Amino acid sequence: MSILRTTSGRPAHPEVAAVADQLLKGAIDRRAFLRTVSLLGISAASAAAFAGLAGPAAAQETPKQGGTLRYGASIMEINDPMMITWTQPSNVARNVIEFLTQVDEENITHPHLAASWDPSADLTTWKFKLQPNVKWSNGDAFTTEDVAFNIRRWIAPESKSSNKSAFSAIKEVEVVNDLEFTLHLSRPTLAIPEMLFAYTCPMVHRKFIEQGGVWTKNPIGTGPYELVEFAVGQKATLKRKAAYWGTKVHLDEIRFIDLGTDVTASIQALASGQVDIVPSINTTDIDVVKRLPNATLLVGHAAQTICIRMQVTQKPFDDLRVRQAVVLAADNQKILELGYRGLGMAAENHHVAPFQPEYFKLPPVKRDVAKAKALLAEAGYKDGIDLSLVLGNTQGRWEQDCAQILQQQLAEAGIRMKLDVKPSSEFWPIWDKVPFGLTFWAHRPLAVMTLDLAYRGGGAWNESRFASAEFDAALNKATGIVDPKQRAQAMEAVERILQDAAVMVQPFWADRFGAMSTKVRGFRLHPATYNLLGNVWLA
Amino acid sequence: MIRFLLARLGEVVGVMLAVSFLVYLVLEHDAASVAVKVIGQYSTEGQRALWLSENGYDAPFLVRYVTWLGRFVTGDWGSSTHFREQVTVLLPQHLARTGILAGTAFAIIVPVAFLFGIVAGVREGSWADRVVSFIAVATTSIPEFASAVFLSAIFVFWLGILPGASTMTSGFEWQQLVLPCLVIVLYDFGYVARMVRAAMADVMAQPYIRTALMKGASPARIVLRHALRNALVAPITVIMLQIPWLISGVLVTEVFFAYKGFGTLLYQACLNSDVALIEACAMTSVFVIVSTQLISDVLYTLLNPRIRFGLRRGEA
Repeated sequence: MSILRTTSGRPAHPEVAAVADQLLKGAIDRRAFLRTVSLLGISAASAAAFAGLAGPAAAQETPKQGGTLRYGASIMEINDPMMITWTQPSNVARNVIEFLTQVDEENITHPHLAASWDPSADLTTWKFKLQPNVKWSNGDAFTTEDVAFNIRRWIAPESKSSNKSAFSAIKEVEVVNDLEFTLHLSRPTLAIPEMLFAYTCPMVHRKFIEQGGVWTKNPIGTGPYELVEFAVGQKATLKRKAAYWGTKVHLDEIRFIDLGTDVTASIQALASGQVDIVPSINTTDIDVVKRLPNATLLVGHAAQTICIRMQVTQKPFDDLRVRQAVVLAADNQKILELGYRGLGMAAENHHVAPFQPEYFKLPPVKRDVAKAKALLAEAGYKDGIDLSLVLGNTQGRWEQDCAQILQQQLAEAGIRMKLDVKPSSEFWPIWDKVPFGLTFWAHRPLAVMTLDLAYRGGGAWNESRFASAEFDAALNKATGIVDPKQRAQAMEAVERILQDAAVMVQPFWADRFGAMSTKVRGFRLHPATYNLLGNVWLA
Repeated sequence: MIRFLLARLGEVVGVMLAVSFLVYLVLEHDAASVAVKVIGQYSTEGQRALWLSENGYDAPFLVRYVTWLGRFVTGDWGSSTHFREQVTVLLPQHLARTGILAGTAFAIIVPVAFLFGIVAGVREGSWADRVVSFIAVATTSIPEFASAVFLSAIFVFWLGILPGASTMTSGFEWQQLVLPCLVIVLYDFGYVARMVRAAMADVMAQPYIRTALMKGASPARIVLRHALRNALVAPITVIMLQIPWLISGVLVTEVFFAYKGFGTLLYQACLNSDVALIEACAMTSVFVIVSTQLISDVLYTLLNPRIRFGLRRGEA
């Protein structure tokens, strides 16, 4: 235990010992251990050493300094960083303005502008200590005054940022001194450090509003780079600053190039050496990238998925037996294999991914066409039933491919499903209103974030209209349990209630793909599509 | 001439007003859907209602249209929801870039098409005519998206001698203009060449050409002095019609090569339901179409004095 050190130097949170014990007894795996203790303020290095993991394998090549990295991105206006609505603009700003914490490609949270944090035993008081000697690009020191300015602005009554609801638990930001502040919460929340890395949470200068409130016009930041050029729809250029408080970065310049919406153009640009990283490509482009001699395919797991969900308040889905019949007639593994080329992981209709920390493994879902037929007959549909599924191919044609495979599977059980394919612009206004629809859900680091939004009674994006007091209570119990084993056990009820309610066929977790030049070293796909370029260099 | 111009200008304004009404009707008759497009699909009913009343969407449709038209005419074109930038900032730069692409393509298409068309039309049925006609039909019948894939397979993926994306983000590079230009020229020159050929063949069959021939005029003089001027009248309309096509019809080529022109802008505006931007692009397209028509009408009268527009029969 002695080697488990907090980053603040203070005594560790009381739960740390128990979590460490579980690791030693094999009750939790190393990843769950690292994730949990890092959230509790233990330094990643000491946690890794404790878990018996070697430090990062000695790099075979010594990083080379210098060079210009060209990164394919969509360049949109960034007026107010807390109002960003998409990851792309945040990636452009990410290496100029920084976050209090950093979640890496493995979903593990590290200190960044905040050097350490200590939650109280009940997880409602969080003491943060800032990194000393951090300077803004205009020469000012980065202090708790800046932090308080940012967080208070996020949660202010007039705030229009999505941070307002995300951080609704924050009652007060207490500034202790220049480097220490405390967050007082109204309810226990373990994920605070993780949430501080959301793309709407970069720290802007305390005079941001006074100086006009348009970040691209006055791009002050604490990061290793400065923004020297910015043209909406075209390009953004970052240049390395002479002085930086953190670990030295390798690249001299990062150039973001807007390659438009057609991925073909991005791949052509990669082939002809005009761009080094294309962070997102379609499954249909994988073969082309594999054949390019100067490119490497990037693959990343992400908790992104499609939910073919039924509204429990609408006929005929108000009858549990009809919903069960649909779910039983579906073969999730087959949909993954045929609809998404098997590039992902079959899911279990409860919207919690095996690589999310709360996951509890339930018995596998089995297809049972005979039982589906029997249930339908019992519900009064002896001759089968006609359904119409609305979808908008919002992420691409593969959504429709998956729906067509489901269509054939359901036909075996006498369910005649029609597909009502709409253009995505027509689909979005009705995505949560149609009785039977296919919705794409983006990645979130924690499953409880999605469950809160989509399945809690009255949740903001509750598209299935599922409402269960039992489910809400189980979810409340699971949120705020520090111990990963206990939390996963508490999640068993959450997952089971949702799975038993048969509100959706959630066929699989879709992998994410990108491509990069063979010259690039040290770049990996981040599950939330954030670009971390601190270790990236060009061979 | 002045009366003719004024009458035509009146028509131009009329057409633009009609189109503006249609555009506004299609995009904004359903106020609720505008709110969804502008503030996003994840907005709540309350936020949408607030946005609608803040932006004057409580008023009847016609009142909204007149207000919008007034703002549009006075240069307030709103801002793009996707790019979060003023439309009046975005549009000119993209138009200028399309101007460069279209202008270059046009500068190649016209002489090449004339050369091919004249060579083919002078002697109808000759082997030169057959070769030119075959090439013209073959290239015109391959759509841009197919020739773009084909050309980039050769020059980008196989030979690796040309850049595959034409973003021009590090300043102007002529190499990036080659592929998009080639695609446009291949698709368009054959059509113009066939028009020139038909007009030329028509003129060459006229009695006055035979007369010139019998008077002993040299073939060059016959073609350049007698035939060409008369053969130009019909192709001029066709050529003028290529200009609006080059502005908005090059969308496929621009998007394919990520060229940041007017076509890409319109495409992204449509993909993202960017109402203000679609309106501005549509009005710009209409303006280009009606103004090139006006110019081609004027050129007509200059090239052929027998044509007198705007005069009633018997006045000439």
